[in-house]
Amino acid sequence: MSTLTFPRLTLSAEFRTIAQRLLAVVVLCIVLSVLSGAFLTFGNLVNVLRQAALIFLLASGLTLVILTAGLDLSIGANVGLSACLAGSVIQASGSALLGVAVGLGSGCAIGLGNGLLVTVLRLPPFIATYGMLWVVHGLTYWFMAGATIHGFPPAFRALGSGYWLSLPIPVYLMFVFLAIGIGFARYTTWGQEIYAIGANPIAARLSGIPVNRRLVLVYTVSGAMAGLASLIFLARLNSAEGDIGEPLTLPAIAAVLIGGTSLFGGVGTVSGTLVGALILTLVLNGMNLLAIDANWQPLVTGVIVILAVSLDVLTHRGGSAGR
Amino acid sequence: MRRLSVVAAAILAASVSGAVRADGEKIAVFTKNQTNPFFQSVRLGAENAAKQMNATVLQYVPTKPDSIPEQMSQIDDVVVKKPDAIVFTPVDYKAMSPGVAKMNAANIPVVNITDRAEKGSFITFIGSNDYQLGLQTGRYLLKTLGGKGNIVILEGVRGVITNQDRMRGFNDALKEFPNAKLLASQTGNYQRLQALQVMENLMQSYPQIDGVMAANDAMAMGAIEALEGAKRTALVVSINGTKEAIEAVKAGKLLATGDYHGFSQGCLSVTAALRYLRKQPIPKEIILPVSVIDKSNYQPYDVAPEQRSCPKWDDMVKQ
Repeated sequence: MSTLTFPRLTLSAEFRTIAQRLLAVVVLCIVLSVLSGAFLTFGNLVNVLRQAALIFLLASGLTLVILTAGLDLSIGANVGLSACLAGSVIQASGSALLGVAVGLGSGCAIGLGNGLLVTVLRLPPFIATYGMLWVVHGLTYWFMAGATIHGFPPAFRALGSGYWLSLPIPVYLMFVFLAIGIGFARYTTWGQEIYAIGANPIAARLSGIPVNRRLVLVYTVSGAMAGLASLIFLARLNSAEGDIGEPLTLPAIAAVLIGGTSLFGGVGTVSGTLVGALILTLVLNGMNLLAIDANWQPLVTGVIVILAVSLDVLTHRGGSAGR
Repeated sequence: MRRLSVVAAAILAASVSGAVRADGEKIAVFTKNQTNPFFQSVRLGAENAAKQMNATVLQYVPTKPDSIPEQMSQIDDVVVKKPDAIVFTPVDYKAMSPGVAKMNAANIPVVNITDRAEKGSFITFIGSNDYQLGLQTGRYLLKTLGGKGNIVILEGVRGVITNQDRMRGFNDALKEFPNAKLLASQTGNYQRLQALQVMENLMQSYPQIDGVMAANDAMAMGAIEALEGAKRTALVVSINGTKEAIEAVKAGKLLATGDYHGFSQGCLSVTAALRYLRKQPIPKEIILPVSVIDKSNYQPYDVAPEQRSCPKWDDMVKQ
């Protein structure tokens, strides 16, 4: 039994926190709608949400890891291997369901591996997941041998490119996992224990929290979310190759941190991570809508991310601890 | 260690296919990464040529794609092992110069392929022409569109030499058709997902897009997914001629792809190295002719690279 107690926020307080966090997003949206007539259209906003969904799903599991003061560098590699395995299984068996199971299973297995390295071998999370990154890359390259797999049945593709009530399926998944993430982190004992581990692991252990088991849980969840993201990727792009995931790792970590989660653990929210994912997506969307010269895009990206986070920090100064 | 296992696997593969002969020459083949299907074709072409000529190929591939330090340390290993010849693609055409100098100092003959190294001495260069690929695929698109229409370009990685040359080609093609309008030239970093997202975003700004020029096949596939998702149509051309692109041409989704001749580059490079070792003449350089693969001529390319066989040297090289 845990002797640590945390103030459990009411739902309205939760929404207030999200609204505060959304300020930077709103400002970005206003600027973009002034600069481009195409921005504030239903089509474009749906577009932004769908693009944010992939990075959010990947980053949501990672948020839990970072809340424990951990890190998961292997998520991009995980997406690559899980997508390639799932894709191959779907093509070989013709069963979308089996492919989904393999993708999620591979994601979980890699995450579980990370969790065991961090708890049983007591490796620092950076090292454990960095090592895992290479192991997974190696397996993927060996498995794929430079090939690309493509062409999947429509039933599976709906997961990434389907619509329901004129909204894309990945957007629903994003909101479902946002709700699950908020619910889990804030309103369950396990969630509260994860915050406690990040805030002070020794105190957490002394107060009877099964620290190792919770750590294994968060790394496995992070791996599972990478597995889910890989399926969305596969269904959206209708193809996969070995290196598809790597460009996603840093943006996912950035989304978590831009969303206000501390690398030192104990502080942060899953809803903040949605904000981070939205900011990163809006930057690319805005640059494309305005057709900014590709030479300047890295600079513009950097400046906007820094400005957005500064705005967030300023509006939070003196407020609640950001939780 | 990882590299060793890759090499071990390559040796195993070679011995299984019966290519190893005690007196066969050993050729070390350097490619940039494990992920780009183009280099897989190069490796398969190299293996195929070696098998036909009773030689052995050792593959050296950085585990981290395009890693300069990793390729550098692989060169150190190879110089010690002293293969009979080396087939070399620099991961960076400038930064690998010291590595080339080491191979030259060890007196191992080196064939340079795909990306022309800035410095060093090579027995020959074998490659394609990125500028011509850009120009001719771009031209093909614009001709098919009747010389007019709204065009977007999906660029590769900024600063990479293949991308620079391909962009020059695309833009020069556009200059030949003043009635065609370039709406936007945006980078997809050679990545499938980014190209899809960029295309989705551009479609919001531009209600009418008639043609897309993509600097590689993967980005073209991303753009095609985006167009299909939005139920819009545009003609798309790309470069590399990967198997996936050939199938898209066959299915009528991709207008055309420029052949980067991965398999032939692999074949010719190993053949050239062996001819040099066997005192047969080789030309100073072999620039493979640019061919645009479209619905009328895709058939010969529509074969798995594993099943392809090297073309005859005399058919490819005019002495």
